[in-house]
Amino acid sequence: MPGTTAVPDIELVVEDLGGGGGGGPTPPPAGGGDGDDGNKRRRTGGPPSPNRYYTGIALGIVSILMFFMALASAFLVRRGTSGDWIPVHLPPVLWLNTLALIASSFTLERARRSLSRLDLSGFRKLWIVTTGLGALFLIGQLVAWRQLVAQGVFMASNPASSFFYIFTAAHGLHLLGGVAALLYVLVRKFDNTRVALPTAAEIASYYWHFMDGLWVFLLALLYLGK
Amino acid sequence: MVNYDSGANHRETPQTGFLSRYVFSTRHKTIGLNYLWLALFSVFLGMAMSLLIRIQLVWPGAHLPLLSSLGNSPDRFAALTTLHGSLMVFLVLTAAPQAGFGNYFLPLQIGAREVAFPSLNLLAFWATVASFVGLTGAFLISSQSSITLWIVSVAIFCAASLLNALNFSVTTIDLRAEGMSLPRMPITVWAWFLNAILGMLIFSILLAACACLLSDRLWSTHFFPSLNFIANQPASVVANAVPVLWQRLFWFFAQAEVYVAMLPCFGLTTHLISTFSRKPVWKERLVVLALCGVGLFGFCVWGQHMFSSGMNPFSPLAFSLLASSLGLPAAILLASWLGTLWKARVQLNTAMLFALGFISLFLSGGLSGIFLVRHDLAAAAVSDDFVTGHFHLVMGVAATFAILGALFFWFPKLFGRRLNEPLGKLHFWITFAGVYCVFMPMHWLGLIAHSRVSPGSPLASVAAAGSAIRTFITVAILLTVFAQGLFLINFLWSLIRGEKAGECNPWRATTLEWSVPSPPPTDDFGLSDPVVYRGAYEFSLTDVAEDFVPQYLAPEQSAKARESGE
Repeated sequence: MPGTTAVPDIELVVEDLGGGGGGGPTPPPAGGGDGDDGNKRRRTGGPPSPNRYYTGIALGIVSILMFFMALASAFLVRRGTSGDWIPVHLPPVLWLNTLALIASSFTLERARRSLSRLDLSGFRKLWIVTTGLGALFLIGQLVAWRQLVAQGVFMASNPASSFFYIFTAAHGLHLLGGVAALLYVLVRKFDNTRVALPTAAEIASYYWHFMDGLWVFLLALLYLGK
Repeated sequence: MVNYDSGANHRETPQTGFLSRYVFSTRHKTIGLNYLWLALFSVFLGMAMSLLIRIQLVWPGAHLPLLSSLGNSPDRFAALTTLHGSLMVFLVLTAAPQAGFGNYFLPLQIGAREVAFPSLNLLAFWATVASFVGLTGAFLISSQSSITLWIVSVAIFCAASLLNALNFSVTTIDLRAEGMSLPRMPITVWAWFLNAILGMLIFSILLAACACLLSDRLWSTHFFPSLNFIANQPASVVANAVPVLWQRLFWFFAQAEVYVAMLPCFGLTTHLISTFSRKPVWKERLVVLALCGVGLFGFCVWGQHMFSSGMNPFSPLAFSLLASSLGLPAAILLASWLGTLWKARVQLNTAMLFALGFISLFLSGGLSGIFLVRHDLAAAAVSDDFVTGHFHLVMGVAATFAILGALFFWFPKLFGRRLNEPLGKLHFWITFAGVYCVFMPMHWLGLIAHSRVSPGSPLASVAAAGSAIRTFITVAILLTVFAQGLFLINFLWSLIRGEKAGECNPWRATTLEWSVPSPPPTDDFGLSDPVVYRGAYEFSLTDVAEDFVPQYLAPEQSAKARESGE
């Protein structure tokens, strides 16, 4: 039976793979670390390709986007079908928060540029600023909630206020995850791990920019849809 | 960011102890098996529920063990149907073919040693267990908070499915073995992959809907108009407002959920049919496209259920067309199965029987679906029994047949032993006849129910036969459920005493999981990474010694085998 004998045999024949007969245009697994001795395709303990993290964050973003799109479509449908809709007057502090969040995206990119110039201390400084701006945004959102509560607008007041609170809360929770990711990149030693620091920073930056853009979209929805 | 230190060091440090080996193991095989055990437990629990439901319908006064003690009220009956439905749909139909078999065999079939994010995988499994406990617990506590608990459990299940879907799609995209190009992927992998993408989109939506509903219940927000509010509104507002939003969000999920359960089953069936017909999948590329089509259309037909239930969304015609267009990929799949079977030397073992049973059930269930797709017919013909019959035949039972077929197929790989074939065949035939006896009369009941509208019609006498049909269904379901005892006996006995599978590849199948010993070692492929040289369905080639060429056989080896064979 070929089935029973195939495993040891593979090692004998792999060296002929380069001939291209059956292999097809498939790239070797990156980071496999076995490029030098083409004889045996034994597995090595080296770090696997970081591709999975890029793919993971991209698909995760699509999934999160879907979550917010469901809420957004519910927002639009609910607004159209009911007579109990009382628009929320957005607290002005939201605009300051938005500025802080957009600024954080810029400092994040500056930080990554320092990192690519191997300027580690500059990177850490700007990265801390980014994290701080993110935290500032979250505190600002809490302030906005307090202001609404002071005006007597609660979660249970009417559908418009319910939607305002769930949008800000869901986005805030996701952004809190982003802040955690930024802190993780800052604190973690990347000497002996599967991903290098620039990769981790890049992946965190994708999520952060997405959260930034998502907030701008939600704010526009809340502002225009009131 | 995932803490990722686990996977690499597992080889060197063999795990000891029950907890680290079975409960908190991040190995994909352990997690996949755990999902299957959970599904097995749930399916028997859910089947017991369905028995109670039918007995309650036919003999309403009967004293039932669980129902009577908790109060024999309509509320309890509703809770019972809810538990039956949620257990079967979530923990069996969604979890078993995708998370169960997928976790175990997707990495094996693409030559990966692990899923992309093992820790998330473990988290997803235990979240699924938590949701199982919550769903069951919601039935046992009979109060207002049970509904809250149910919603929380569903939300947790959504989150778990999202993690699982993320894992599967990233694994398929990034961790394929050398040579495993997309066209060479087995159809099963395609189905799991496409299903993961679909799941990632729709479980987010159900999660959002659950979050809104939960916040309505806990913090009295106003996402879904409350009953107090509705009562004070003019009638025109009431008719529009109550279910629109919830229905929209829920059916967006639920219609696609049908395809989430069916997609992996399509993949499994295609795989089994090809292997046991000893023929390549007929029009393999077209089948992959059809699977993509099922995913895409399944995502788009969310409005279809709304006109079936008498609502009028913005464009019933558009949705009617979309729902009908699902017939196209379904027809392609059917054509491919028949094309593969055409003039094949079919090996009629139990796994193949279940795959053929799947085709039969899918076809007859799909035919009654045509009535539901036509929105003018749907308004006339739809009653609860018709929908129940259609839905169970096409989704519930058909998917279960695919799962059972896959279990008979992969049992030797999972446990190193075979299931008993004669007992399996007996179990198949009783179940096959049984489900037709249960669900076909249910369609008639649905049609008869509407004839009662005009008492003068000749159909009125037929309507009187309704209660006799109900009794027949209940007797049939009793027999079918007890026939599952045969399966349980076969399963448990084979687990301990079954005939040893012996070789790696007892079915003479082509995919990578059959290149490793049964059950596979902890690190799957041993010391050398697998390499793939060819497509997944190379059967009945003329110039080779055997009638199949496995994916892992190098061209030089197959030439050698040919020479030695001649």
